[in-house]
Amino acid sequence: MSELAIAVVLAGAILLASTISIELGISVALVELALGVVVGNAFDVGVPAWLVFIGSFAGIVLTFLAGAEVDVDQFRREWRASLGIGVVSFAAPFLVCTAFAYWALDWSADAAKIAGIALSTTSLAVVYSVLVETGLNQTAIGRRIMSATFVTDFGTAAALSILFVTPSLWIIAFAAVSASLILGLPRLSPWFFGRYGNRVIEPEIKLVFFALFLLMWLGERSNSHAVLPAFVLGLALSSHYATHRKEQERMRVVAFAFLTPLFFFKGGMNVSAAALWANLGVLGLLFAAKMVPKLAGVYPLARRYCAPHAAFTTLLMSTGLTFGTISSLFGLQAGIVDETQFSLLVAVVVLSAIVPTVIAQRLFQPTAAAEHARERALAVAEPVREAER
Amino acid sequence: MPFERILVAIDGSEASDRAFDKALELTALTGATLAALAVEGPLPAYAATVGEVEEVKREKDAFFSRLLTAAEEKAAASGVALETELRPGHAAELIVRVAGEWRADLIVLGHKGHFLRDHLLGSTADRVTEHADCPVMIVR
Repeated sequence: MSELAIAVVLAGAILLASTISIELGISVALVELALGVVVGNAFDVGVPAWLVFIGSFAGIVLTFLAGAEVDVDQFRREWRASLGIGVVSFAAPFLVCTAFAYWALDWSADAAKIAGIALSTTSLAVVYSVLVETGLNQTAIGRRIMSATFVTDFGTAAALSILFVTPSLWIIAFAAVSASLILGLPRLSPWFFGRYGNRVIEPEIKLVFFALFLLMWLGERSNSHAVLPAFVLGLALSSHYATHRKEQERMRVVAFAFLTPLFFFKGGMNVSAAALWANLGVLGLLFAAKMVPKLAGVYPLARRYCAPHAAFTTLLMSTGLTFGTISSLFGLQAGIVDETQFSLLVAVVVLSAIVPTVIAQRLFQPTAAAEHARERALAVAEPVREAER
Repeated sequence: MPFERILVAIDGSEASDRAFDKALELTALTGATLAALAVEGPLPAYAATVGEVEEVKREKDAFFSRLLTAAEEKAAASGVALETELRPGHAAELIVRVAGEWRADLIVLGHKGHFLRDHLLGSTADRVTEHADCPVMIVR
């Protein structure tokens, strides 16, 4: 199949994914991933070089957007309570999955680390969707869960960028440029966006894209990954985007219309249905290796900081999607994991987006009204308790 | 009075418009108090980006805000005072819950009649009828 013919198939499938997503109320990314699996397995279509390249860039744009979507003020207010949950939510599955893949599945050390990183994530978007849908994002518990999710994602991004670094002079350049962009762009952006922004030619988006391409190139030269600086750069610009919603919307339009569909299709096309079928047992074990340490590690802390909704909090912290897919694709592209390992990791990531979410919503979801009432009652009771002491 | 507190569920569909008209007529006849509940349906499940969720949420907020404003204007034109409530969540579950919280003695809602979905999953009207603690009027 010619490259242009592949582009036609992909464009049609991407359009179809959007309509299915709207009709079924399922995230477009999940439908794109699923259709990518269908296209990659049903047709004789290899993943073309241009799709690999654009997909890699799209992964970094997604990471940047994830950072830009963090509510920094909310995190500052909640970080003490959410730090422990977030750290354990990353570290417990990372250690268990890495050890399990290395010793039980006999994966290479680097492949095991990729498994640990990909399966340690918590999906900010899945969590956000559940909380906003019910109005719980306006409650203390909702804000705490969101902040903890940010900590976990930060751990994932840091691990992906740091664990595969090979010492060289490029590391210094990578670190220096990352720091300069993270410190400099928030200072430059008000002037730059003010002078050149709000135009159809979109200089502000081009500035961000230039910074991300630069980080990708330097990350590649250092055998690292640009995911951490891209995430932190997004974070550094989040306050700017919070007050300039139109700019953020335009950035999203570019990302959602062209870049992210190709990222998720690329991910889906690399999944081998035959490899999954042949390794269903391993798939189940890897899923358990993600879920058991998440549940066992987060639940005791959630009982302390998110009572009486510890089970709900723990299940939401066990979800994963975007960062898990980004980590798995990095492993595949760098030749660290093979097609079977990649397929297993992505399948577990997708399962972890669905299974804990469904259980949390069906069995443990508090109502926002009840939660607000409980918070008001606590606010009234607290001064009385203080006075009694 | 046969009914004192009527709750009508609205979602902008033709069926819900007909239900709202009937609820207005009934309120005018009985002198009851009328409340309109709009339920923002689910957001994209298993989203990969916060942006996707935020954009859909923003579109829904704008749509339902316009819907409730239009309902208030229509009620005012009919000489009926209308309380409005917008809640996110599952339609049938929320209609039943809000009816209980608001102590409604009648729920009015439309029936869209989606053949395949109704037979496979049951309609919102079916579920509300099954679980509500008060009479339910289904307007076709």
